[in-house]
Amino acid sequence: MLPLVSGAPLAEPEAPHKWRVAIRSYLRHPAGMVGLALTLMMVVAGLLADVISPGDPFRTVADPLLEPSGSHWMGTDNLGRDVFDAIIHGARTSMVVVLGVVAIASVIGLTVGIVAGYRGGWVDDILMRITELFQSVPRFFLVLLIVALFGAGLDNLIYVLAFTSWPTLARVSRSEVLSVRDRVFVEAARSIGATDRRIVLHHVLPNVLPTAMVVIALTGSRIILLEASLSFLGLGDPTVMSWGYLVSNAQRFLRVAWWMSVFPGLAIAIAVLGINLMSDALNDVLAAYSKVTRPRWRRRRVVRGAAAPSLST
Amino acid sequence: MKKRFTVAALVMMLVATGCGGGDDDESGTPPGQTGGPTTTAAPVRGGTLVVAIGSDPGSLNPAVTSNGGVHTASEMMFNGLVGWGVDGKPTPELAESWTVEGNGTSYRFKLRSGVKWHDGRDFTSDDVKFSFERALLRLHSRTQASMGTAQLTLETPDPLTVVFRFPNPYAPLLQQLNVTEAPIIPKHVYEGCADLATVAGCPANKTPVGTGPFKLDSYTINEIRMVRNPDYFRQGLPYLDALVQRVIPDQGTQLLALENKEIDWVGSVPGPDIERVKANGALGTATAPRGSGGGNCTLTGVFNLRPPAGRPAFFGDVRTREAFWRAVNREQAFRTVSFGQGKVAASPINSGITFAAATGLGLPSYDVNRARTLLDQVGWKDEGGGVRTARGVPNVPDGTKFEIDWHGFAGDQTTYGEQIRGQLRDVGIALTVKTEDNATFSAAVFNRREFDTAVVSYCNGDDPEIGFRRQVDTRQISTTAFSNGAGYSNPEVDSLLDRAAREPDPARRTPLYRQLQEILVKDLPYIWLTESAGLRAFNANCTGFNHENTGLFAEAASCRK
Amino acid sequence: MNRRYVVRRLLQVLPAVASILIVTFAVIHAAPGDPIVAVAGESGNEEYYAFMREKFGLDRPLHVQFVTYATNVFRGDLGTSFVQGQAVTDLIAERVGPTLLLMGSALLVSTIGGILLGALAARRPFGPFDLAVSTTALVGYALPVFWLAQLAMLTLAFRFGWFPIQGMTTARVSYTGWAHYADVARHLVLPSLVLAASEVALITRIARTGILAEMNSDYVRVAQAKGLSHSSALLKHALRNALLPVVTVVGTRIGFLFSGAVLVETVFGWPGLGRLVLSAAQTRDHPILLGMVLLVAFSLVISNLLTDLLYARVDPRIRYR
Repeated sequence: MLPLVSGAPLAEPEAPHKWRVAIRSYLRHPAGMVGLALTLMMVVAGLLADVISPGDPFRTVADPLLEPSGSHWMGTDNLGRDVFDAIIHGARTSMVVVLGVVAIASVIGLTVGIVAGYRGGWVDDILMRITELFQSVPRFFLVLLIVALFGAGLDNLIYVLAFTSWPTLARVSRSEVLSVRDRVFVEAARSIGATDRRIVLHHVLPNVLPTAMVVIALTGSRIILLEASLSFLGLGDPTVMSWGYLVSNAQRFLRVAWWMSVFPGLAIAIAVLGINLMSDALNDVLAAYSKVTRPRWRRRRVVRGAAAPSLST
Repeated sequence: MKKRFTVAALVMMLVATGCGGGDDDESGTPPGQTGGPTTTAAPVRGGTLVVAIGSDPGSLNPAVTSNGGVHTASEMMFNGLVGWGVDGKPTPELAESWTVEGNGTSYRFKLRSGVKWHDGRDFTSDDVKFSFERALLRLHSRTQASMGTAQLTLETPDPLTVVFRFPNPYAPLLQQLNVTEAPIIPKHVYEGCADLATVAGCPANKTPVGTGPFKLDSYTINEIRMVRNPDYFRQGLPYLDALVQRVIPDQGTQLLALENKEIDWVGSVPGPDIERVKANGALGTATAPRGSGGGNCTLTGVFNLRPPAGRPAFFGDVRTREAFWRAVNREQAFRTVSFGQGKVAASPINSGITFAAATGLGLPSYDVNRARTLLDQVGWKDEGGGVRTARGVPNVPDGTKFEIDWHGFAGDQTTYGEQIRGQLRDVGIALTVKTEDNATFSAAVFNRREFDTAVVSYCNGDDPEIGFRRQVDTRQISTTAFSNGAGYSNPEVDSLLDRAAREPDPARRTPLYRQLQEILVKDLPYIWLTESAGLRAFNANCTGFNHENTGLFAEAASCRK
Repeated sequence: MNRRYVVRRLLQVLPAVASILIVTFAVIHAAPGDPIVAVAGESGNEEYYAFMREKFGLDRPLHVQFVTYATNVFRGDLGTSFVQGQAVTDLIAERVGPTLLLMGSALLVSTIGGILLGALAARRPFGPFDLAVSTTALVGYALPVFWLAQLAMLTLAFRFGWFPIQGMTTARVSYTGWAHYADVARHLVLPSLVLAASEVALITRIARTGILAEMNSDYVRVAQAKGLSHSSALLKHALRNALLPVVTVVGTRIGFLFSGAVLVETVFGWPGLGRLVLSAAQTRDHPILLGMVLLVAFSLVISNLLTDLLYARVDPRIRYR
């Protein structure tokens, strides 16, 4: 329940080359570049999984519990499966889930947030109530319940995670819209007869997107952790390889095969770290280029919305 | 402080050697034990033994189920009539002596006098009759399958005598009366129960009263605490003051805890750790030919030959079953899952029963191409997409995909399923592994028969009558858990089983069982995977374990400080 | 904090509770298959199903069912676990103690630790200590808590032998009184440190950001110009105001603490809700999972309420519309 703040901040005409400047400054951000590299690594691994590690990662390919060596860079697990191959295929699962969730959640969240913020009035009220509805239930345990009831398929997982992730995005985009809605250039556009659609697409959306992207990135990293946690508990999709499953399988063999736990865990950490670094860098870049002086309580709200990425897990 | 303790210990030891004795089944040097000091001196009294168990058993009544978890947790509080000694020879327990009459049609047991239940009441023959008639014969699958089929009746001519009568000679009885196969429960505690099998129908299942060396102190979801029974009928035993069973779900963590000295006993060492454990001087090990679930256990894959209406009969054709056999590399699966503990099953009857297990039977060997050919022949066509489709398979609607499930308990059984899943993909069968607990598994597989394949560890016992018969006998197709899971029925097999059961001469039983097994190899109602053997590991400061009569493994155990 | 705000804020609890009930009810009834299975499990027989149908009024219209459901929840009747045969409320009540203990200590450690680290880092922004802390926080935030638990168990507990491997108490001996508390404390250290580790990262960052912002604000600068030392400024002014965002975040992290506790408990064999949730998830025991959803959801509502009230009390700028 965020305290609402009325009153528009200082008005400022939008900078013309905002995107290009922003990208250039991002490229100069060391942590951001590291994050980009790590994330790209995961994406490439996911996309090219069948090329890098052809074959079925569930097949036994060697003797069990082999130490990392030249032929098996990350060793083999208790069923003689190559850990490196398993991790590559796990990257694909994580990527599919993240992209799926982010795509659905972004569409819903942005739409709801922008419409609510732009229209205001009773539309805003209803949409916000609906948002609260989806935000009320703790995500992790709801997913457990839904998997138990509906089955443990990848698509179920994506839908559930998406439907519990969009509220945060909706809130953040709504508050961004609120800050932009009454600015001079919007009024100017309206006065020359631009339709609402045009205003939203050309003026509102570009101002909402940057902050939204920060939230989306953080949501993505939380999704990776969530999916890993679910697979760790044995609730992931059993037909696809997953990092969390690998870590849970490693529990029994911690003493004899540390590589079964360490490498998959590192994979999860790297993927999450990469996305977090990117979102931090985006946040910094935005902050530097936003000429608007945000009042202190707005800053806190950004902290709540962005750095504390999910209000419920 | 230390000096005083040593003196006290010496005094106690002298007292113990003076008073004790009179045990008929002192373990001596059990076979296969390594490590640990061989104590010829009298055991130390006192101390607590901590044992790891995998999960909360839910109930502490071993007479109403054959489930291993319940048995491990509760057997130390009970006794059977006759125990196992070295080489499987029967030793007196609750029964002092017995005579076999009529070539095996009647067994007369003279019960020990002065035995008391934990609540002080006297043990009598009525308790034996009650245990069999109300509990074992109705709810314990091995007893039901064997003695129930043999039409056992009990007579109690006086409070210390019980007679087991069979219409036909029944050879294996003395192997089936120990605390694992036939624990005796008190009539006065359990006779009021509405439903002995559940905790809701019988709350006494959580507060057991037995005759055993330990009695219940407290039972929480996390641990079961038992204390010494000072009135135990074996004078001087047990030496330990307390026995604690701590729930540690993960096998790896159990071993870590053992090595860290937080616990003293692990019932089954995971394969990859065996070498290291054996080399660890602080730990003793022993091979266990039988466990709390029974002895001579074979991990067996079950084909559902009688699915309920609406469920495709995937395995109706024997060629499909043979294809499944040939698609599975049992050798490889055995190596990766069991790490060489035990052996690949070479016969339907466990090789531990030497007179009955047949050799050279010609079980289908690993041959992926032959498997594919067979599946094509039956009508399972490979139409691309990796999973075969039914075209003209009897009792399977056209267009059905070969997607099946595999039900099993957590641990090795699930791991086996995962191994096999990869192998089956090669021939176009999609397998989903379902890990379930005891109740869910029994309900799905035996109650509702809603499964395609399942895996069961069928413990054969020391005679095929005990634990093997229930797999293949038509009359054992029932809702009792761990009965004839496949739903297999062959009158020839049934008659061979009957004839072998009645034949008192083991030499004459062998060819009958051979014939039987040859039929089974033709029919392939099950896929016999591995014969499991567990390795137990324990604190080397503790000795005196009984590895034969495993239900009472700690009866004469003692731990040095 | 004015009374109007308190009253409005309390009233907000109602729609939150209603949302929770609506969402959970919808999920149960949207599940494929016969709803009786969702309520009574798959292994019942006809009589049991008939009994449960009657009890839950499954033949009645949907809104009547909802009212029955809501009343049951408020009466504390969360159904019966099919697998364990006991009431869900009992099962949860038996195990919630140890989990709350774990969560509470993790919360305490992470909050205090996070504020300390954040304050220390803010003393010299972008200095070496700050960079070290920030980087560690960043990495720590990315580590999955169950993996960290495994690593901790293997190294700190086993390799170095500093802590016990499993459980909440020593199995061998039954301690009472102070010895018992000491025993529990010893077993608590590793699991709560692991759980706190994931939280510390976040709190450190928020504390640091908040403190830095305060240090740059006018009133602090004025005080410093008047002669107040850097450290005093930090301690007396910045810290206190920077605590607010920490408090608000902490309130909303209860959900993560619950799920993190479940994961940590499965690794360390801690006898709390973790094992219950794990086995319920594996055996598809819906009533237990539903019970957990409701428990955590209502806890979240309460903790959000408390943090908002606390926040309003401390920050005079908060008014409600």
